[in-house]
Amino acid sequence: MTTPVRQQGVRHRLADRLFHWGMAVTVIVLGATAFLPILGIRFDWVPLHWTFGVLLTVLVLYHLVRVMLVHGVSEMIPGPDDIREIGYAAGGGAPKGLSEAKYDVFQKGFHLAAAICVLTLLATGLLMLAKIDTTFWNRNPAIFTDQTWGVIYVLHGTGALALLFLFILHVYFALLPEHRDFLLAMIHGKGPEKARKGSNA
Amino acid sequence: MELLRHTQDAFGQRMLVGINWDILWLPVAAAAAFIVLHLVIRTLRRRAG
Repeated sequence: MTTPVRQQGVRHRLADRLFHWGMAVTVIVLGATAFLPILGIRFDWVPLHWTFGVLLTVLVLYHLVRVMLVHGVSEMIPGPDDIREIGYAAGGGAPKGLSEAKYDVFQKGFHLAAAICVLTLLATGLLMLAKIDTTFWNRNPAIFTDQTWGVIYVLHGTGALALLFLFILHVYFALLPEHRDFLLAMIHGKGPEKARKGSNA
Repeated sequence: MELLRHTQDAFGQRMLVGINWDILWLPVAAAAAFIVLHLVIRTLRRRAG
């Protein structure tokens, strides 16, 4: 028996939708300013890149404040039912005995992977600000050794490639017809309140 | 194919400078492979009912 689930409540509030689309714009600009010069399209990418990096940092801090004060972390923490949900998905069978949840295991997995990538990129990117002159500070690359800078660049580059992979998959899954309600919920707020419908069969 | 880029410092020592951007195609190809695999499994499961 399937647990009754209210299908058309508010899934994402305006403040969270603004964060999502703000993050989307900043990630696209950061990706474009990072990868286009590598592909041979030359322009002065550094000022745009670090400015949007700082903007993304502010957005992530805003998101963390909302998580701490409004949402809590419990909805996004993987639990035993999430492990079982993977088993059902791999076997192709209908899930049984799983609790309902706002986010299913795949959404939680994506969020965790994206969070690791973005936090790595922000931490290393903020350190890299020491290598450029701006209105607010003068460059001081001597805060780290060359070897440490190399490690920081490797982490930043690896995070960027991993986020590119996740970004492509995110867009693909968002555009699938069966996920249309989730995409629309991120646009106008209303949609399935639970991605994983509970069942006690 | 080298995953990392190195250079030599003033003393001739090998120095890490970052990842090799020649592998930029790798996440794109991996994502494409993932999508194709997902589409195949999705189609097979739908046909199976």
